[in-house]
This record gives sequence, structure tokens and C-alpha cells, in this order.
Amino acid sequence: MTVEEPNASRTDDTTDGTTDGTTDGTTDEVREALAAIGATAVPTSRACLALAKAHRSAGSPRRSAQWAFAATDAATSGAGADFAAWLGADRVWRSVREQLPPAPRTARVAVLGSYTTTQFTQLLPLACARAGVDVEVYECGYGLFRAELLDPTSGLHTFAPDVIVLAVDESAVDLPARSDDPEASVEAELARWTSLWDTARSRFGARVVQHDVVVPADVALGHLADQTPGSRHWMLRRFSERLGELAGTAAGQGVGIVDCERLASTVGKRTWIDARYVHAAKQAVALGCVPLLAQHTAAVIGAQYGRSRKCLVLDLDNTLWGGILGELGPHGIEIGHGARGEAFTAFQRYVLDLKEKGVVLAICSKNDEAHVREAFEQNPEMLLSLDDVAVLEAGWGDKPTAVRSIARTLGIGEDSLVFVDDNPAEREAVRELLPDVDVVALPREPAGYVAALADYPFFETEALTAEDAARTAQYKARAQAVEVRENAGTLEEYLASLDMHAEVADLGPDNLARVAQLLGKTNQFNLTTRRHSLADVEAMAQDPAWTAQVVRVRDRFADHGVVGVLLARRDGDVLDVDSWLLSCRVIGRTVEDEMFGVLVRTADSLGCTSLRGTHVPSAKNSQVAGLYERLGFEQGGRDGSSTVWTLELPAAVSTPGLVQVEVARRVIDLRDVPSARLDDEQKVEVSW
Amino acid sequence: MSEQSNRTLGGDGVEGRMLQVFREVLAVDDLQLSDASTAADVPGWDSLAHINIMYSLEAEFDVQFSDEQLTSFQDVGELRRFLVEQAG
Repeated sequence: MTVEEPNASRTDDTTDGTTDGTTDGTTDEVREALAAIGATAVPTSRACLALAKAHRSAGSPRRSAQWAFAATDAATSGAGADFAAWLGADRVWRSVREQLPPAPRTARVAVLGSYTTTQFTQLLPLACARAGVDVEVYECGYGLFRAELLDPTSGLHTFAPDVIVLAVDESAVDLPARSDDPEASVEAELARWTSLWDTARSRFGARVVQHDVVVPADVALGHLADQTPGSRHWMLRRFSERLGELAGTAAGQGVGIVDCERLASTVGKRTWIDARYVHAAKQAVALGCVPLLAQHTAAVIGAQYGRSRKCLVLDLDNTLWGGILGELGPHGIEIGHGARGEAFTAFQRYVLDLKEKGVVLAICSKNDEAHVREAFEQNPEMLLSLDDVAVLEAGWGDKPTAVRSIARTLGIGEDSLVFVDDNPAEREAVRELLPDVDVVALPREPAGYVAALADYPFFETEALTAEDAARTAQYKARAQAVEVRENAGTLEEYLASLDMHAEVADLGPDNLARVAQLLGKTNQFNLTTRRHSLADVEAMAQDPAWTAQVVRVRDRFADHGVVGVLLARRDGDVLDVDSWLLSCRVIGRTVEDEMFGVLVRTADSLGCTSLRGTHVPSAKNSQVAGLYERLGFEQGGRDGSSTVWTLELPAAVSTPGLVQVEVARRVIDLRDVPSARLDDEQKVEVSW
Repeated sequence: MSEQSNRTLGGDGVEGRMLQVFREVLAVDDLQLSDASTAADVPGWDSLAHINIMYSLEAEFDVQFSDEQLTSFQDVGELRRFLVEQAG
């Protein structure tokens, strides 16, 4: 990757005559940044970003945003993918956002993810603004997407989304390693996803953007997996294919798919999924690919809101064919033969494919119109014909004027146009004078043209764009019917279907390190956030005054490992809960209620007459502020911002019973230890 | 603490590029760092920002940190020495 310092490309070369001095507020900084843009065929993201900053300094917020958007385009795909540049563009855009005219559409977008989606969520507003939709975003904790959808008290319900993005990865797909009836397994899993779509539409009247799953690159079965329908690999591929199919049927009304499998294949799956970041931070999409994912998600949302670009405006010489028509004549231009000619043919074929899907084609060329017509009519290698072209603007006037005329002729806004030209000067002239027109930069070699245009995602179409308001109303009308069918089920039913098992163990050599780690890093569900060290925990394990619950949870998706810890210390007749935490992997699954049940039984067996709990508020643990109260504790006191809670024993406890609990060894063993002898001083031999 | 560890990072080489990445990711244009800086000293350098920083440094210098370095490290000096050695 090359880095250009914002002002490093200081040259005395004059900028293109078409771009300099035409704007109010042009400063030296802007001129220098513009010069850097012109220095390469395809402007780098850093150069675009420098220009965005220069325009901001010069007091041109619209141009600043325009170039911040250009920076995101330049930093999205291929080797130039640049997460930091997106962060920079995000910052510039946010700093001028208030001064921009309102975006054509607005939406409330909720991101429900199965992995760490924080960066994705951060970049999504920028990406959507680029697509013409001003969004406010909401992010649920990772892995909570089903719970958030189903729980009527969830933050998602308060947020009231217009769009729900299901940002999931392969780990969220519940397919077995092997199946005797693979088609049935796939269909059963698909039904669980379409029921989420139903819930999104019926409860919220929301559109859905479903991220398709990326089939992992690493397959133990090797090539045999393709021939083995019972394998998870085969089923995942089938699942992915069927998910797209279903989204195209009535069941998928209002559902847009982001084909992550294609995006990942384009950049390479080992680039898309960086195992180190998966393990270190649950980043199922590598940060370098998050911009691409955000951009394509925004394109699909933009399409849902009718913001797709409608018209492709093409240059001719060295864009649709090689060479200069005026010099070479209709038969001399490069098309059809030779490496370059074939590259231009391939580009014409791609342009025709775009036309097939509904993109209107227009031509904007500095040529005599008669010559242009000759080339199209007489050169047999031309794939495109003039019949494919809605508007032909050929002449010697400037291109911005011609492009504006195309929009007027078609009766569409300039913000529906995409301008493609091999000449950087023409591109920058259009960008400068028609800021609403999108500009696609072509690389030097025609072999790269198809990829350059294919990387531009805002021709995305969605069959359902026409009657946005009506569709939402329609969903609302269907809502009651679906509620009655309850096909999506309740949160309880969902949790019960998870088939959750919790194994509760005491502190032991096999879990001390994990316990210390959880104490060290858990923030949200953590009542006291006391960061006991490994040595502290080892000492507790040896100290009979302490009792612990080390909770391992598995469900039909996965063994989540040790995800819950409760440390309590005997203080006379009181069992005092020193620390209580749950990993965010299992928050919202009633595991805490079952731990509470075990705690009460343990206290009983120790002969304690009451339980004491403390809540120490932190910046991140507000979700447990009401826990003790909900469990029936009385508030006993306050120590600074901390609150102390008491529950007299014996107490009748009924737990939700959605998690099957097995209590292993030592907690039970404690029943045999006479409570009267459990003082601090007394050592009890503990064997593991 | 030695004078060396208090010296602020800068210049055009690895140090300067490294500082630039920190500034971009943490959105602090005038951020100053020294070898002795740790996450605790730098506003906004939380666990999420840490992952963003490490990823962006890897992309900037085309290197890979060890798993150990990804999640824990002593101070900025450790990162700087690693980057100078790998990419300097």
C-alpha cells in the first residue's frame, strides 16, 4: 500500500484546465489536492480524502462530502481496500453532515449480527449517505439477533427500525456436520430464517437486508465435499443458494440479499475471513473487507429506497473501443480482435448485461455524430448497437453540458446518472460541475474495465422499489394475521428450542485461567467488575470460605465454553456474592436465573440465612442494575454509587427452566461440610 | 523512565507512518505518542479501537502481529520496535 501524505504531492504542474479556478472557495490546499487527484489514472483514496479535507477547510461542505464519498469508492475493493481511509472519510463526512442538504431518503437501520459488527455499524451511515439514504443506526449485541427480534422489551423494539440488517456469518447457520437427509436439514434451517423475515416485517413493518453466508474455504473433505450432499459444506452451499431463491419469492417480499459469498470470493476468502481476528475479536469479516460489506449493504438499502442509479453515460474512444475514431475510421478502431480489442468487446458485453437488467444507456462523446453512427452501423465487431442506446450526445461541446442534456432528455435527475470515461480530465470536469452525477474511474488497461464497472455497486435493483409507502402499509396490514399464526414464536419458545445445557462446576485447575480471564475482561453483565487476578482466584479455590459457580453452556449451535462465573464468600450466616458475570455470548438467555437458583440451593446447603449481593455501577454494566431487584432481593444499603441487596433464606425460587442445569462435584460436596466449621481460619483439604 | 521512552514519535519513516495510523484511527489529529505510551494513557484507545489500530498497522506496513501482540502488549515502544524490525 502506498501512502500519500495529504500535502506530499506538491507539484507545480498546472491542473487540468477544466477543473481549476471554476469553484468559489478554491484555495491553495484545494488546488494542491486536485493536482494529486489528476496524478493517477484512478485517484487514490488518500488523495480523495485530502481533497475532501481541503474543501472542508475552504468552507465547501458539499464538495467535501462528495470527495469523502469518492474516497470510499476508491478504498473499497481490491488491493486498495483501506479500512483507515474509510474511518477518515467517515470523520470528514460526519463533520460536515449537518451542513449538507438533507438526503433524499431517511431510514432507521438496525444491525443484528452474529459477530462483532461495531465497525460495520459505524461505517454504515457513511455508506448509506453515499447511496442517498440518511440513516440512523442501532446495533444489537453480537449473537443476540434472534432474541432482539423476539423479545418485545428489547432495544430493537424501542428503536423501531425501518430496515433490519441480518449481519450473520456461517457460524449462525444451524446445520449439522452431517445429515442423512441434507435437503430436509437445509429446508428446516431455511424456515428458521424466513420466520425471522416474517417477524421483521410483521412486528416492525421493516425491510430486511440479509447477509448471505460465506461458505468457509477450509474443507476437510476436500473436493469430495461437492459430491457429498450430507456434508456441512454441501449443505451450506445449498443453504446459501436457497436463501437467495426464497428472497426472490413471495416469502422474501421486502428482503434484499447481500451476496457475501460473491464478495468474499472476489477479494479471496482468506482475505475476507482473517482467522486471527476471528479468534481475537470475533471479527467474522476482516476489517479491510468491512468497507466493502458496508458499501454493498448500503447499495441494497439504497435500492430498497428507490435510490439506485438508472442511467449509464458512456464515452466512446478508449472506453467502448480502443483508439480514436476520428483518426482510425470505423474499421480501424480496436474492437473484437487482439488482446485490447477483446477487452473492449468484453466491456461492451458487460454494458449490455447492465442494459438487460434495466440500466438505461446513453453515450457522451467528443466526435462527429455522423462518424459515430458509421462506426456502430458499419463495424461488424460492435456488440452494442445504437438501438441499445437511449440518448446519443456526440459533438464538440463540453461534457458536463452534454451530460446535463442527457438527464434532461430522459427526464431523470442528475443523481440518476453514472458517468464512465477513460479520460481523467473529463471525469473531473463532470465531477466538478455536476456533483450529483456519479463518476466511475477506469484504469489504464481496458482489461480492467469490466471489474472497475462491476465494482460500482449502485446500479443495484430491487424488484420492490416502486411503491415503498404502500408496501410498508401492506406489511402493517398483514401484521395481525401473522401475529395470530405466531409462526415466529415467542422468545421463550425460541430459547427453549436452543436446547441449552449448563454445567456448573467449582473453581478448579481446568478453569482457573478462564475464570481469571473473564473477570479481567467482562464488562456488560458484571455486577461488581472486580478484576481479581489469577493468583486471587487460585487463593479462593483453596479457601473454604469461598464458593464458586463456574458455568459452561452449550446449545444445539455450539459449546460456548465457560461463560458464567459467580464467586461468593461465606461471611458468618451470610453468603456474600463478590463477583457475578456472564460473557456476552449468553446474555439474554436466562442463564443468570438458573445460576441464582443454584446460588440459593448452595446457600441453603451451607446453612446460611441470607444472601447478600452488591451492584457496583460502571460505564458498561447498566444492564444488570435491576438484576437483584428482579430476583427478589431487598435493597439493604448504599455505599457511594454501589447498592447492597439482601435476600432472606429460605426463599422460594422458581427459575424459567429453559436451561438444563447440571451441578458438578464440589458445590454438592459442600453439603457434606458442616457449616459451623467453615470459618476463615479453618483449612479444609480439597482434592480436585 | 529513560529519555528514550519519553521521546515523542514522529518523522517520515516507520514512526511517522505509525503515528499517522494512530491519529487516523483514533480521530485525534494532534495525537502525540512515545515509546512509553500505553492504551491507558491515550483517550479513546479501548479494546475496539485497539483492534482497529492493530488491523490498520498491519495493512499499512504489510506485516502480521503475533496472536499475543494482537490482544496484549506492553506499550507503544513494543509496537514500534516490532514494526521497525519488520518493515523498517
